[in-house]
Amino acid sequence: MAGPGRGVGLAEGVFIALDAIWANKLRSFLTVLGNVIAISSIILVVTIIQGVNAEVTKIFTAEGADIFTVRRESLVFSQEEAMAMRSRPRLTREDARFLRETGTAFEAVVESADGSGRVEYGNESLGGVAIEGRSWEWGLIDGNGLEAGRYFSPLETNRARPVALIGIDVASELFPGADPESAIGRRIRVHSLHYEVVGVMKTRGSSFGFSRDEVVVVPIRMFQRMFGSRNSLSFSIKPRGPEFVQPAMDEARTLMRIRHRLRPADEDDFGISDSSTFLDLYNQFTAGIFGALVGIVAMALVVGGIVIMNIMLMVVTERTREVGIRKAVGATYNQVLWQFLVEAVTLSVFGGAVGITLGYLAAAAIAAFTPLPFVLATWSIVAALVTVIGVGVVFGIYPASRAAKLDPITALGYE
Amino acid sequence: MNETTAVPTAPSGEPIIKIRDLKKIYDMGRVKVEALAGIDLDIHRNEFIAIMGPSGSGKSTLMNLLGCLDTPTEGNYTLSSHEVSALDDNELAEVRNREIGFVFQTFNLLPRATSLHNVELPLIYAGVSGRERKKRALEALDIVGLAERSDHRPNELSGGQRQRVAIARALVNKPAILLADEPTGNLDSKTSLEVMDLFIRLHDQGQTVIIVTHEPDIAEYAHRVVTFLDGRIKSDVRQAAKRLDTEAVPG
Repeated sequence: MAGPGRGVGLAEGVFIALDAIWANKLRSFLTVLGNVIAISSIILVVTIIQGVNAEVTKIFTAEGADIFTVRRESLVFSQEEAMAMRSRPRLTREDARFLRETGTAFEAVVESADGSGRVEYGNESLGGVAIEGRSWEWGLIDGNGLEAGRYFSPLETNRARPVALIGIDVASELFPGADPESAIGRRIRVHSLHYEVVGVMKTRGSSFGFSRDEVVVVPIRMFQRMFGSRNSLSFSIKPRGPEFVQPAMDEARTLMRIRHRLRPADEDDFGISDSSTFLDLYNQFTAGIFGALVGIVAMALVVGGIVIMNIMLMVVTERTREVGIRKAVGATYNQVLWQFLVEAVTLSVFGGAVGITLGYLAAAAIAAFTPLPFVLATWSIVAALVTVIGVGVVFGIYPASRAAKLDPITALGYE
Repeated sequence: MNETTAVPTAPSGEPIIKIRDLKKIYDMGRVKVEALAGIDLDIHRNEFIAIMGPSGSGKSTLMNLLGCLDTPTEGNYTLSSHEVSALDDNELAEVRNREIGFVFQTFNLLPRATSLHNVELPLIYAGVSGRERKKRALEALDIVGLAERSDHRPNELSGGQRQRVAIARALVNKPAILLADEPTGNLDSKTSLEVMDLFIRLHDQGQTVIIVTHEPDIAEYAHRVVTFLDGRIKSDVRQAAKRLDTEAVPG
């Protein structure tokens, strides 16, 4: 039962406040509406972002954290920059060969191109399937593994053999009821060309609710035969070891500059990124959201705090006589201050608690109706509670000091 | 049938209240109102005093000063060896808490609190722990005959009962003086008698009682009547106090 200089203890102060909240339910709720809105939005947005984080991290770590990518385009944020990149040279198979032959820090350089199209088998037909063109080295760096069959060989890549690996969803759609093993050797049509299935991939799972198993992987030269070779390739490069990520990225950059005959003053005309590049970018993006959230929440809390302050001023006026009685029987300035401060903080925390509950329910509802996972961050609840306690103290101190300063004679005579 | 006690002689020894040349001047802007024009007054332990006078005579001002709710403009007020005129607000609060038990005309109980909680209030500010507080509050309620009503709220009690709860609250810290301001002003005559009987019993047990009143028949119960007029003591009379003959009061 400690308060400054004894007096109404914390538990008792909270009890008095809860009693008053209960006695004026509607008024209390309206009073703390600002807090409710602020806190529920913190909890909701934090929960959503945590959910997205979990998904995003899953995607980037699934690809293999040490693998980095060379692309024609750098990551840009404006239309102008994007337009400027259209004049950059395409990345070609010859570039890949140059990297392989001159590079020392690379374990594998995979040529990649992505498209989509229709996949057919007999009467079964599946549209909008992701079609991935890969060179054979893809088999070396693919961490996902195969359900059945094999990856394609160097010869099949270089000779453009019509062989394909299919995702588990494609297998089950095209060959209903059949086990993955029995898919091997079947002949399917991909984007109107005939292919022999040589492998079935293990499931890659889904992200943001979309399956990543509706996919066909074909040799890069077959891909170019289907989609033309005018589109730039991208290269996924696996360094010789995790400690070689930075040297390998530096080497890839140097070699690409040599290959493109850039002078020292020229800027790169290609982009290199690893998973951390995307994660950094993503983190910047979420930091932006958090920043905006903090702004909105701060405004709501200021409004909420001012309402609490007003109500507390009213409460002090309503209970002037009570203050007079308490002072007459010996309550000091600090004891009265403490009592009303506890009441303001309780009111504020009450709003925060309602907000946490609503935010939690809203986040749970979103998780239930969308593919986002429900990740409740404990720190967001702690932060919310600390914040509303702060709001209670900051906006409660003035009304409480008004109460504490009341002259007992005047207060006792107050009707 | 009432009886009276013998006229007491002025007690000797160190007074519990010692007032010297006490002045209270209210500054109303253009005019200064002299509510107390410099009074001297000694009150000894276990006196039963009535302070009388018409409104505006200064008796309420004296009551506020005696109760340490206000500080004098000039002069000295010593209460149980505290020089009150020199104290700040927090020290005054502490003196009120320990030395003074207030009884008001309008009872001034916390409306949402039980009798027990109302009586506990001074102990809360004295820093008495929960268990001890409850015990002492129940004892005080027992003295005023309301131990069974400890969980009732003021609106569940009669006027007389409310005032007795207020008296229990005033007693609970074992104060040096019981200071009652028109304690029967809101009560009917029968209930007034009950309340006065309680004051008499407390006085008989050694309590110092000061009652501010404008009703002469209430003042009759005191051993000493100090009458104010225009901020000065007009008369200070010791008298044989009227006593109720029966225990007409619920125990």
